[in-house]
Amino acid sequence: MPGNEDKALEIVDLQKRYANGVEALRGVSITIEPGDFFGLLGPNGAGKSTLIHCTTGLAQPTGGSINVFGHDAINDYGKARAAVGLAPQEVNLDQFLTCEETLEFHGGYFGMQKRDRAERTEELLETFSLTAKARERTRALSGGMKRRLILARALMHRPRLLILDEPTAGVDIELRLELWHYVQKINAEGTTILLTTHYLEEADQLCGRIAFIADGEIAAQGTSEDLSRRYDVANLEDAYLALVGRRELSRSHVEGGVAA
Amino acid sequence: MKIKKQTLGGPLLETFLYITIFGAALGSRIKELHGIEYIVFVIPGLIMMSFATNAFTNNSSSILQQKFLGAIHDQLSSPASPKELLLAFCLGGFVRGLIVASLTFIVSIVLTNLTVDHALVLIPAIVLVGFFFANLGVLIGVRAEQFDDVAFAQTFVLQPLIFLGGVFYSAALLPQPWQTLTKFDPVFYMISLVRYGFVGFTEVNIPLALGALTVATAALFLFNLRLFSRGYKLRS
Repeated sequence: MPGNEDKALEIVDLQKRYANGVEALRGVSITIEPGDFFGLLGPNGAGKSTLIHCTTGLAQPTGGSINVFGHDAINDYGKARAAVGLAPQEVNLDQFLTCEETLEFHGGYFGMQKRDRAERTEELLETFSLTAKARERTRALSGGMKRRLILARALMHRPRLLILDEPTAGVDIELRLELWHYVQKINAEGTTILLTTHYLEEADQLCGRIAFIADGEIAAQGTSEDLSRRYDVANLEDAYLALVGRRELSRSHVEGGVAA
Repeated sequence: MKIKKQTLGGPLLETFLYITIFGAALGSRIKELHGIEYIVFVIPGLIMMSFATNAFTNNSSSILQQKFLGAIHDQLSSPASPKELLLAFCLGGFVRGLIVASLTFIVSIVLTNLTVDHALVLIPAIVLVGFFFANLGVLIGVRAEQFDDVAFAQTFVLQPLIFLGGVFYSAALLPQPWQTLTKFDPVFYMISLVRYGFVGFTEVNIPLALGALTVATAALFLFNLRLFSRGYKLRS
């Protein structure tokens, strides 16, 4: 289905039922404008990763449509996938490759020319402070370095839409802030970003628009303020707690002694 | 190819040991088979075996490992089509097999009197064998869920078929029913084709065997392509 080229990501009525019968997505529709920093929040098992996998070709949707900058990401996926960079939740680096090769190979998969690959690799290793580790195998890297390399790999082919699936899970505060600064910078330069995270302050600070997903459906979407109003609460965290039915955990309640 | 000791060194040592054992030890007693020096009779089978096992192992183990690590997602989420991905995997195994087989060939022509009698049969035969086993490695790697699955296929299926396919002997020397059973082993025809290419001796109909191998290789490739297109055990 031809999509709207003015939309970075346009998902309409997306459905995914796994072979074991689990319905991970039940008619999800979201639209992300070019240049947006869009947050997708929801509890574990809500369907966030499935939505990302459907968008990037790692899962086959059972219904609906996905368009990336107007390109059908399901049936005519070449241009759609070329426009997307994915930094997945899991550290999925090939342990036998060096940092340099990881980026070079990725560029090759995306059709980059040799010279461009070499220049871009050098640039990204420098940007992510990995130049000294360029010839080291990825298994020798620290957890933080692996995270940085995964982000560098996602950016290697200069995607217009960057998908970050819990990029700061398990990283120290220094690296988290470093990653925040970097993604804010590339967003300001025009890259559209879709972020999933469990850190609500991260979403609150970074994302212009946010969608709540629960049980495979979009429960609400809008700005942080829109969501607070929608759930009649003071902030995004309380809106999230309302979504998951745990209002009693609100810090305002705890501080006021209600939950205790 | 990132671990050359294992991927190139190991197979070469193995072939060298075979040549030593079958050439020096057995060769001194058997002398000739069908008028061909025994070690020269055996080497085509060894070359085919090293090509086949390396093409197979490269693909089966690397695909399974990449599935375990999730590293295969980097390729699956790229714009590359299922056909391009499959061809790339096949080529990886094929090239590794070709390198080991070529090195074995070079060592063999230095150490023995091996010659190439029918290059026009040998080249297509060895290319088809390499491509067939590279595809078989892809199939097993994609289907496998644990390393045991790959090891099982290699130890209990591939190895017996290769060893019983006549690498070290001529099927004509076997008593019945083994002589007839050997003819049900597809690897027997592959070894016969490669042996004919090198030394000019065969126990099979060459055009028929070459045709059957072409059909089998194409069928396996198309089957794998179907699996890749459906994302079988690759995409969720």
